[in-house]
Amino acid sequence: MIRNTHPTLPEFEYIRPQSVGEACDFLTRHAADARPFLGGTDVFVRMRDGVLNPKYLVDVKALPGMQEIRFDPQSGLTIGAAVNMNRVIAAAETREHYPLLADACRSVASYQLRSRATVVGNICNASPAGDTLGACLAFNGVLHIQSSQGVRQELLSNFFRGPGKTTLQTGEIAAALFLPLPHAGSQGVYIKLGRNKLSDLSLVGVTALGYPDPGAPSGYRFRLILASVAPTPLIAKQAEDCLAAQPVTPASIQEAARLASEACAPIDDVRGSARYRKQMVKNLSARALTSVWEKLNRRGQNDISSD
Amino acid sequence: MSIIGQSVPRLDALGKVTGQAQYPGDISLPNQAYLKILFAGRPHAVIRSIDTSQAEALPGVIAVFTAKDMPVNEYGLIMPDQPVLCGPGSAKPYTDHVRFEGDQVALVVAESEEIATRGRDLIRVVYEDLPILSDPVQAMQPESPRLHPERDSNVFCHYRIRKGDVEAAFAAADVIIEGEYRTPYQEHAFLQPEAGVSYMDEQGRVTVIVAGQWTHEDQEQIAHALGLPLEQVRVIYPAIGGAFGGREDMSVQIVLALAAWRLAQRGTPRPVKIVWSREESIVGHHKRHPYLIRAKWGARRDGKLLAAQMELIADAGGYAYTSTKVLGNATLMCTGPYEIPNVMVDSYAVYTNNVVTGAFRGFGGPQAAFAAETQINRLAQALGLDPVEIRLKNALQEGSLLSVGTPLPKGVSITQVIEQARAASLKWAAEPPPGAPSLRRGVGYAAAFKNVGFSFGAPEQCTAAVTLYGGREIERAVVAHAGADCGQGAHTVMAQMAAEALHLPLERIEMVVSDTAQTSNSGSASASRLTFMAGNSIKGACEQALQKWQAEERPAAATYQYRPPKTTPYDPQTGRAEPNFAYGYVAQAVLLDVDVETGRIFLRQVICADDVGRAVNPQQVQGQIEGAVVQASGYAILENFITQDGRIRTDKLSTYLIPTILDTPEQVESLILEYADPIGPWGARGMGEMPFLPLTPAIIAAVHEATGVWFHEFPLTPERVLRALKP
Ligand SMILES: Cc1cc2nc3c(=O)[nH]c(=O)nc-3n(C[C@H](O)[C@H](O)[C@H](O)COP(=O)(O)OP(=O)(O)OC[C@H]3O[C@@H](n4cnc5c(N)ncnc54)[C@H](O)[C@@H]3O)c2cc1C
Repeated sequence: MIRNTHPTLPEFEYIRPQSVGEACDFLTRHAADARPFLGGTDVFVRMRDGVLNPKYLVDVKALPGMQEIRFDPQSGLTIGAAVNMNRVIAAAETREHYPLLADACRSVASYQLRSRATVVGNICNASPAGDTLGACLAFNGVLHIQSSQGVRQELLSNFFRGPGKTTLQTGEIAAALFLPLPHAGSQGVYIKLGRNKLSDLSLVGVTALGYPDPGAPSGYRFRLILASVAPTPLIAKQAEDCLAAQPVTPASIQEAARLASEACAPIDDVRGSARYRKQMVKNLSARALTSVWEKLNRRGQNDISSD
Repeated sequence: MSIIGQSVPRLDALGKVTGQAQYPGDISLPNQAYLKILFAGRPHAVIRSIDTSQAEALPGVIAVFTAKDMPVNEYGLIMPDQPVLCGPGSAKPYTDHVRFEGDQVALVVAESEEIATRGRDLIRVVYEDLPILSDPVQAMQPESPRLHPERDSNVFCHYRIRKGDVEAAFAAADVIIEGEYRTPYQEHAFLQPEAGVSYMDEQGRVTVIVAGQWTHEDQEQIAHALGLPLEQVRVIYPAIGGAFGGREDMSVQIVLALAAWRLAQRGTPRPVKIVWSREESIVGHHKRHPYLIRAKWGARRDGKLLAAQMELIADAGGYAYTSTKVLGNATLMCTGPYEIPNVMVDSYAVYTNNVVTGAFRGFGGPQAAFAAETQINRLAQALGLDPVEIRLKNALQEGSLLSVGTPLPKGVSITQVIEQARAASLKWAAEPPPGAPSLRRGVGYAAAFKNVGFSFGAPEQCTAAVTLYGGREIERAVVAHAGADCGQGAHTVMAQMAAEALHLPLERIEMVVSDTAQTSNSGSASASRLTFMAGNSIKGACEQALQKWQAEERPAAATYQYRPPKTTPYDPQTGRAEPNFAYGYVAQAVLLDVDVETGRIFLRQVICADDVGRAVNPQQVQGQIEGAVVQASGYAILENFITQDGRIRTDKLSTYLIPTILDTPEQVESLILEYADPIGPWGARGMGEMPFLPLTPAIIAAVHEATGVWFHEFPLTPERVLRALKP
C-alpha cells in the first residue's frame, strides 16, 4: 500500500511552555496526544510518514538549562537536552575529554542535520541504530529526567527497554545528559557501517573504549557496545570481561570479537541480513578493539618518551 | 570565433541557482483544486466494485472519478495495453484488472490536499485477488495464467538474430565461456517527483503543465484517452527536475487532464494540481528492466571471437511501456562492440505482476553491456590475454558487419576510445593505500557503443522553427523548439547551435520551448538524440530563414523538419536490420579497492573516454559523463531495489539509497574525444547515455582482479561481496 499521506507535515498545534512545570503539566494532561520534541529530526519524519500523529508538539528547547553545556573538572560534562550535535562536537571539553562522543556525533548524517539533531533526542528516540548511544553508555552516562514530582536520575544502562521504548513515563522530560569524568588514559573508537558514506543509518555500529586499570588482570578494561544488532544498544559484556581477564593480544581480541558476535541477535531487513550483521560485529569489533589497543600503546610509548 | 565548443553558461543557471525557476510543483493557479490518486496497492486482482459515495459526501470533496469517467480507457507509448484507471465501467474488456501495485484506480479532487487524501481513504474498492506472477521465467510458461487475458501469452515480444552457424563455430573454438547473468531494477530517483497543474486555457484547450520528455507524445496520449482531437489538448513543460527516461511514460498527465476537463464539463471549471510524494513516485512510475541473460561465447586461442549465443529475458512488469524498444536495443548490444562472425540471439519481453519497467538512461544497453563485457573479460582471463588487447582484436571497424548483418554507419571509433582509456590508466598505482591491510586493489576495463536516435524503423524526425526580426541586420532570432530540457542543458545547446548557424551572438537568440501550442513535434529527449536531432533541425531552419532574410523577407521565418537516414526493423526470422543511423563510442577504466573484511567497494578512479563527435558545450558534456558515471556506480554497487511477491519494499530514499556526494568516485576523468559523425550537426554525436554503459562490467572486472571472484549479479552490496568471498 502507498503509506504516505503527506508530502508535508500533517497539521498539529505548536506548544512552547515557559517552565518545566508547565511543560510537564501539559504533557500529563494530554498524555494521549502530546509529544515533547527537540530537534524534531525523528518526530517530524515519523509524523510525515503517518507513524505518529500527535495533536500537540511541545517544544522543550527553551526551558531553563536546556541549551547549556557545562564541564566540571571534578565531576564531568553536562549536556543540556537541546544542545545540538554540532555544538557538542565543537565544545573544547568534548574534544579534550570525550573525543569518542564527538566522533560518534560526526557519524550522524550531515552537518545540516546535526545542527538540529540532539544527543538527548537520539537517546530518547531509543533506536537501536542511534549512533551516539554507544559512546554515552561507554562513558556511563546518566539522564536527568524532570517531572512534576521533581528530578530523577537514570543510568543509561538501565534506560533502554526496546526499539523506541524507554523508562520515560508520561509527563516526564529529559532535561540533560551527564557524563562522568572518563577514566584516565581512556581511548575510544566508533566504527559505523552504513550502506553509503553519508546519511544511512547504521547496519552495524561498534563503540569501543579502553583504559588502563591496574585492578584488572590484563591491566586494562574495555567497553564494547553494539548498535543495530539487538532491540536496544547492546553492551557486549562477555567480550569486555574477556579482555580484562587475560592479556590483550591479537588472539584475545579475536576471541572478544567472537563473543560479541555471539551475544547479538540482529534481524533481517531491507538494509541487510542478520547473518551479515553478525559477521560485521565480529570483524568490526576486532577492528575497533585493535585500534583502541594501538592507541593505548601509542599513548604509553609517548608517556615513556616524554618522561 | 565559433560558439560551438564553448562552455557558455547555461541559460537556466541563474534561475535555478536563485530558486526563481519554476518546476511543476512550484506552479499554483488561482482557485486551484487538489488531486489525489487512489493506487491499487496490490499486484494482481479484478476490481468487482468501487463505492465512492462516502468520499463524495465528505465536505470539501469536489469530485471523484473512476474508470467509467474515462472516455477511452487505455494508453501506452508502444501499445495501449494499460487502463488509465482500473475498474468496472469501461467499454474495453479487462480494464477492471489490476496488474501491478502502482495501477491507478480512482481520482479525488478536493479543496485541499488534506481533504483529497481523506476522501481517497473513504473509497471502498472490492478486489478479487488473482495469483501473483512475479517470476518472468515462470510467466513465460504456456500454462501460466495470462496477465492480459486477450493475449495468448505473457511473452509480448520476441526477437531473433541468426548470423552464421554458432554450433559449428563452438565446435571449432579453443575456449568457450558460459554465464548466466542477472541485472537489478533501478529507480530513476529524479529530484523532482511527478507533479503538475491542469486547466482549460483561454482557447478552451485542456492544458497540462507537467514535466515530461516529449510534449507532443504526452499530447497524443491525453487526446487519445479523452477522445479529443489533438488541437484541443495542450502540453507545456516548465523547468524539469531530471528525467533519465523515467518521464517518458504517463504518470499524472492523463489524470490531470481528465480532472480539469470533467470539471469544466460540469460547469465548474477549476485548475487542478497534483504533487506526488516520493513513495508515490517510486511505486507509480516504471523502473529499469531486470534482465536474465544466458550467454555462451567461443573464441580462438589468439582471442579472436568466433561465436556468441545469447538468450535475454526482460521482466516488463504489468504493461509494455517501452519494453519492446528497450529489448530491441539490448538484443543488438548484447554481443558488444565486436565483430563476431556467428551470432544467435533470442530475446523476450514478458509480462509479470512486478512493477512496470521501461526507459532508463542506456535503454537496455547497460544490461546487455554487463553480460557482453563480462563475457569478453572472462574470455581474456581464460586465455591469459590482456583485456584491452582482446577487445582491440575484435573491435568493430569501419565497414564491419553487425550481428544483424549490416555495416555500421561511418565514423566507427571504438578502437580509439579503448586505446585512449587504457593509455590514461597507465599512471595508476598497483597497491592500495598503506595502513589498511584488508584492502585489495583491482583495475577493470569495459567498452560499449550506444545508438543515437530512434532505432529499428521507428518514425524519426525533428522540427524547428526560426524567425528572424530586424531591419538592416538581424536584431533578434526566435527559435521555437519542443525539445525537453530535463536538466541536461538542451536549450542552451540549441541556442548555441542557432547562434552558430545564424552567425549571431548568443544574446540575440530567443528560445520558445516545449509548448505544443507554440512549437512543432521534436521527438523525445531520449535515445541520446536531442543534440543530434534538434541540432540538425535548427541548422536547417536557420539556413532557410537566412535565405529568406537575404531575399528581403521581414520577418524571415522558416520551419524545417529534419529526417535522418531511415532504419529498418528486425527481420522476424534472421534479425537482419539496419538498426540505427548513428552511434557514440565509449570505453572506461576503473580503479577500486575492496575491503575483504566488510565487502565494501571503494571506487577510487574512473576514466571515461567518449567519442562525442563534437562537444558543442564541453562543460555540459563533462557534466553528462560525471553524472552518468555516478548514476551507474549506484546501479553497480549501491542501489538495491527490493520487491517481494510483486510488492516494492524500498519505496523511500531511506530504504533505496542512491549515491551521495561522498559516495562518488574519488576522481572521474572525462576524456572527450571528437571524431566527427558524418551526419551529426557540426559533427556532434549524442552522448547522454553512453558513459553509463561500461561502468558496471568494468567494476565487475576490477573486483575480480582484486578478489578472484566473478560476479554474475549486482548491485555489489557489501553483503553480496562478502558472501561470495567467504562461502
Ligand atoms: C536525514 C536523517 C538522517 C539521520 N541520520 C541519523 C544517523 O546517521 N544516526 C542516528 O543515530 N540518527 C540519525 N537520524 C535520526 C535523528 O536525527 C537522531 O535520532 C537525532 O539525534 C534525534 O534528535 P532530535 O533532537 O531531532 O530528536 P526529536 O525528533 O526532537 O525527538 C526524538 C524522540 O525523543 C522524544 N523526545 C524529544 N525530546 C524529549 C525530551 N526532552 N524528553 C523526553 N522525550 C523527548 C521525542 O518525542 C521523540 O520521540 C537521522 C534523521 C534524519 C531525518
